[in-house]
Amino acid sequence: MKVFKKLTVTALTAVIAVTASFAGIAAAADSLKGKITVNGSTALLPLTLQAAKEFQKLHPKVKIAASGKGSVTGPQAVKKGIADIGACDWDASIDVPGFKAFDGQVANKVAVIPFATIVNKNVGVDNLTTEQLAGIFSGKITNWKDVGGSDANIVVITRSFGSGTRVNYQAKALGGGDIVKKEKNYKETGSSGDMKTAVATTPNSIGYIDLVYVTGSDIKAVKFNGVAATTDNVINGSYKIWAYGYYMTKGQPTGATKEFIDYVQSKKFQNGSLKKLKFIPIAAMKG
Amino acid sequence: MGAPVQSLASKAPKKVTQSTANDKRHRKHLLGNKLSRYYFLFSILALCFVLGLVIVFIGKTALLLFAHVSPAEFFLSFNWTPEEDAFGAAAFIVNTLSLTALTLLIAVPVSVGMAVLCAEIAPKWLKSFIRPVLDLLVGIPSIVYGYLGLTVLLPFLRRVSGEGLGDGLLAAALVLALMVLPTICRISDDAIIAVPRKYRDAAYALGSTRLQVIMRVVLPAAKRGIISAIILGMTRAVGETMAVVMVIGNTPQLAKSLFTPSSVLTSNIVMQISNVEFDSSWNYALHMMAFLLLLISFALIFVIRVLGRKRGDA
Repeated sequence: MKVFKKLTVTALTAVIAVTASFAGIAAAADSLKGKITVNGSTALLPLTLQAAKEFQKLHPKVKIAASGKGSVTGPQAVKKGIADIGACDWDASIDVPGFKAFDGQVANKVAVIPFATIVNKNVGVDNLTTEQLAGIFSGKITNWKDVGGSDANIVVITRSFGSGTRVNYQAKALGGGDIVKKEKNYKETGSSGDMKTAVATTPNSIGYIDLVYVTGSDIKAVKFNGVAATTDNVINGSYKIWAYGYYMTKGQPTGATKEFIDYVQSKKFQNGSLKKLKFIPIAAMKG
Repeated sequence: MGAPVQSLASKAPKKVTQSTANDKRHRKHLLGNKLSRYYFLFSILALCFVLGLVIVFIGKTALLLFAHVSPAEFFLSFNWTPEEDAFGAAAFIVNTLSLTALTLLIAVPVSVGMAVLCAEIAPKWLKSFIRPVLDLLVGIPSIVYGYLGLTVLLPFLRRVSGEGLGDGLLAAALVLALMVLPTICRISDDAIIAVPRKYRDAAYALGSTRLQVIMRVVLPAAKRGIISAIILGMTRAVGETMAVVMVIGNTPQLAKSLFTPSSVLTSNIVMQISNVEFDSSWNYALHMMAFLLLLISFALIFVIRVLGRKRGDA
């Protein structure tokens, strides 16, 4: 009995010692630990979640919590100290129309997001120019026949003020033009998902959305100045409605936050998972 | 003589022990009573405290607005373009009131009618079908109602009305009416069932028809219950957000017709609150709208309570 006990004890100690030493080695290999909170853009959220999953596999001691609400909440959460990273569809460290710069924040480019003009499947038009789009969204053009379609009122569907998609669409597709505010055939939606449903179910409607969301047969993406909305056309520079997605940080990122951003910017992630999610690697762009 | 006395004497100590046992039990009961009373008191106070905190917090943030914007502009102007520093919320206030009124106009007759059917007329098998179905409807998340409104109701309204969009007060009121209907119906149902049987018997004995009994006896007797059912339905209609957002159009303008895309207090708050900077007049204005919503539901409840009491007494 005594011998048995002794054996058990030795075995146990051995097991513990071995585990401990292995754990020690593992810890030596991966001393990185910490907690990263990401908040902000819903457009970038799938990317953040995927990156977090992969990063945590490499560094099990790092906890990453990510949530999405709307672009401007990103830099705001960073400013308030709620989040370490604020995901934003525009560079929030400089002034953009409607939003002042967030002082002391650094913008880290992480992805390229293409946007597309979408119309309901019953709309016959398949190409629109900057002027035509500006006219439609500002309320000056109200009938599809004025832009080469059938005689029907245009229903404009837009995102609410503060949406990153809206900020970028206004700047790139409408040439900085205004979006109509008070009109009969005008509607605001709260998210990309709502936008897609609204355009899909409303005949004669026009809207705009991340290219990633353009799927199914109820909506179709129209050409912009004669160029189709494809990732290839974004990369070769002919399709202009796209924007960089940014991770905003308070000052230069440090520690685990820096490592995480480095991972998202790494070739492995950019050319792998990021492409699979239909974003475009930042390295693919020349400008 | 001696024996009974003795027996009495011998009984007496027994009685004492019994009464101490009773006392103990009694004291236990008293303690339990006291404790539960304190517990209830504590619960109520805690609830009041939290409610008070909510009101104070919303009110405090809301009042910061008036440092930048005059109350006259906020309450009387119809121009809401916060990105250009115009904070007129009058359109939302009017829209909220008219949406609530329209909802009740649609929902109350139907739901009270259904309650009467359920309580007075329907055979047992129908009752035991309707009631669980209504209870089920209450449990459906409002976003689902909104999505159905967006994908089923709006295309239907577009076809019927010939409008391009279909969004507006009518669509929102129809969705809301469906949502408050089970609440109003089930509570009215309970109120009608609670009317004592003898009232009906007396009325029938006097030669009333069934319709007369329902209209002249049962409904007036159940009036308070029905009114509180309507209050509950109304507060849900005033405060409902997710379903309304999906079908009202979210355009900050006064609803001049049933099909004008417009916005109410709740839908405007939910559309904008996450996109607004923390320390801005815009944020304070949205808090003021939330505070207003609180006041509106307080006022509505108060007015209808007073009305209900007066009529109930007469």
